[in-house]
Amino acid sequence: MAADTATSPALEPVPQITAHEVTRERSGIIDWLTTTDHKKIGILYLVTTFVFFLIGGVEALMMRLQLGTAENTLLDPSTFNALFTMHGTTMIFLFVVPIMAGFGNYFVPLMIGARDMAFPRLNALSYWLLLSGGVVFYASLFFSPPEAGWTMYTPLSNETFSEGGGVDAWIFLVHLTGLSSLVGAVNFYVTIANMRAPGMGWGRLPLFVWTILVYAILLILALPVIAGAVTLLLTDRHFGTHFYDPTEGGSPLLWQHLFWFFGHPEVYIMVLPAFGIISEVLPVFARKPIFGYKAIAASSVVIAFLGLLVWAHHMFTTPSPTVVLVFFMMSSFLIGIPTGIKIFNWVATLWRGTIEFKTPLIFAAGFISQFTIGGITGIIVAIFPVDWQLHDTYFVVAHFHYTLMGGAVFAVFAGIYYWFPKITGRMMNEKLGMWSFALMYIGFNLTFLIQHTIGLDGMPRRVYEYPDVGNLVLYNRISTIGAFVLGLGILLTVINILRSVKRGPVAGPDPWKANTLEWFSTSPPPDNNFDVIPRVRSVEPMKDIRRQIAYQTGTGSEAPPAAESLVRG
Amino acid sequence: MEAAALPIHDHHGPPPANQSARVQPQVLGMLLFIISEVMVFGAFFTAYFFIRVVTGDSWPGEGDHLPKAIAGVNTAILLSSSLTMHWTVEATIKGNRAGMKAGIVTTFLLGVTFLFIQINEYVHVGFAPSDSAQASVFYGLTGLHGAHVFVGLLLLLFVLIRVFRGHFSPQAHRGLEVPGIYWHFVDVMWVIVYVTVYLL
Repeated sequence: MAADTATSPALEPVPQITAHEVTRERSGIIDWLTTTDHKKIGILYLVTTFVFFLIGGVEALMMRLQLGTAENTLLDPSTFNALFTMHGTTMIFLFVVPIMAGFGNYFVPLMIGARDMAFPRLNALSYWLLLSGGVVFYASLFFSPPEAGWTMYTPLSNETFSEGGGVDAWIFLVHLTGLSSLVGAVNFYVTIANMRAPGMGWGRLPLFVWTILVYAILLILALPVIAGAVTLLLTDRHFGTHFYDPTEGGSPLLWQHLFWFFGHPEVYIMVLPAFGIISEVLPVFARKPIFGYKAIAASSVVIAFLGLLVWAHHMFTTPSPTVVLVFFMMSSFLIGIPTGIKIFNWVATLWRGTIEFKTPLIFAAGFISQFTIGGITGIIVAIFPVDWQLHDTYFVVAHFHYTLMGGAVFAVFAGIYYWFPKITGRMMNEKLGMWSFALMYIGFNLTFLIQHTIGLDGMPRRVYEYPDVGNLVLYNRISTIGAFVLGLGILLTVINILRSVKRGPVAGPDPWKANTLEWFSTSPPPDNNFDVIPRVRSVEPMKDIRRQIAYQTGTGSEAPPAAESLVRG
Repeated sequence: MEAAALPIHDHHGPPPANQSARVQPQVLGMLLFIISEVMVFGAFFTAYFFIRVVTGDSWPGEGDHLPKAIAGVNTAILLSSSLTMHWTVEATIKGNRAGMKAGIVTTFLLGVTFLFIQINEYVHVGFAPSDSAQASVFYGLTGLHGAHVFVGLLLLLFVLIRVFRGHFSPQAHRGLEVPGIYWHFVDVMWVIVYVTVYLL
């Protein structure tokens, strides 16, 4: 229309007044329910998933209480089964994976200098699907919670051995949260590909954004497979099909392959964004550029690729040809290389830095130490003859809690302490943060280090009681005490968050003197994120901007920006 | 003169965001979604592979016959709907509204015919999903594909309604192009399903 009138020679220019429709400001609750703003959706994600984290934590404490002594009768077996099933499912599908999407939602557009995600309404859909998944799953508490473990192996999860709707609630949880993550992943990928600030080439993408990109790719490749697998399980349970039924030509191994083809990439889906958070936090508090930017970015991609090729190391005790076992053992070893590259680069980032010992850095350091232990025990259980001994014992439980709890969750806490000032505009209490870290670190290692020994002594996982033999009671009691110390540490952070939201000192736009673009905006950022999007000239645009300001205002002792340093990538 | 050069709708709010890739977001989003769809089919094909190769059972199940010829005709129907979809997009780009309308109606009807013949095949094939693992996989793969045809038809229905309401122009036709990509994917996927389930 506009073009027609402008080009038509018959029309004289007429003075016009154009009025713009102003959207009515909505009241608080309606605004939160209908928002398509990536920051509000990000906060919804973070709060929801953290609540699920606390619920999953309470489930873990109940299990530890039951295991505090031999032949305990506190919980009955089926309650215990339901607890470990819900704990695992909650932590994976409702906490670690979506909280990374929460950080991604809030910070990817800010870090790349965009004003929102590529598809804001799809973004809202993805949050509401996640919440419905959680509600559907927890609704099963009122009829019959699932008891077959988060892996839902058939035939344990089929209609004969798992009557009632618990397994179905779990299936719908996987469908709903899967769809949520898939929609979110497409959104992340398109946002990162299409909406970067001018000058931000792939070599200047913040490392957290790199890991969210890889996270999105892995979600797109892995999640549909489990969606297919649970659909087959659903039809097996209710429509008489025989996909997993060996008596009619089906195969229970099919479930395990499909499940772990999703399940192992899922591990990297959970931990890669954690790597990203660490890669953002360390250089800021070491006051030093990240060591080996390209190596860290590239190793994320390599980990994702290898992560798709190792799934059967979860199935070493199934009847598989030795050549298959050897292949999966070797491919699992290979993942140690890119992971090691990351760890050495992080250590080198800290090396000779001017380290500021703030809570985010402490959590990041805790992450590195604990994740390294988890990585090394991972190599141990990847050796298939060793795995034959350790499979399904507490050693495995200890191993993956070192990577997920000691790794991903500590990184999430680093992220919370690091980005809280940006999200709320207020600082968190440092002292309380340090206490929280100390209790979490001690509690975590008390809980899980001893579980390696419990596993080596042969105690299987997922049992609700054990006999009083050897030192099992002592070991388990240490682990239970540790779990409560850990819980106390987490509680301190919850208190810290609740106190600081209202009463923390005002943060200002850039309290840490950080490197990436989210700190260019106010805290919290306005609806449109940025009035002006700066041209990005390096991987640390905020450093350039601060130097530019110091130069132009004549403040600061820093030298004027060398032309060469602004051009270099 | 200068007043005329000013845009009538003065731009308010922040300037438009930087576009850092040449591909349109909607097209890229659809392509990524299609990759995930391929992986869903991958899960179902793994089930097929397990039953046919790993377990080594006969295919189809003993005493069952798959109507190769009818399904072959059906394949031709679906593939021709891909051609008419392409024709629709081409007509739109050339500004040929009559061709656009004819193209989208033909595509839609061919899709409906495919689904109708598929359902008819289920009625007459002579075995149920609960008869054997082979039967389960047959219904699983063709049913999954049928569900995708149904979703594709829903998208095409919206396009059809918009075409008859006068939407789309040679410059602006993304709402037609993106469902078209999905439709082509559904057709290509059928060829793979047909070859593996009926012919091999």
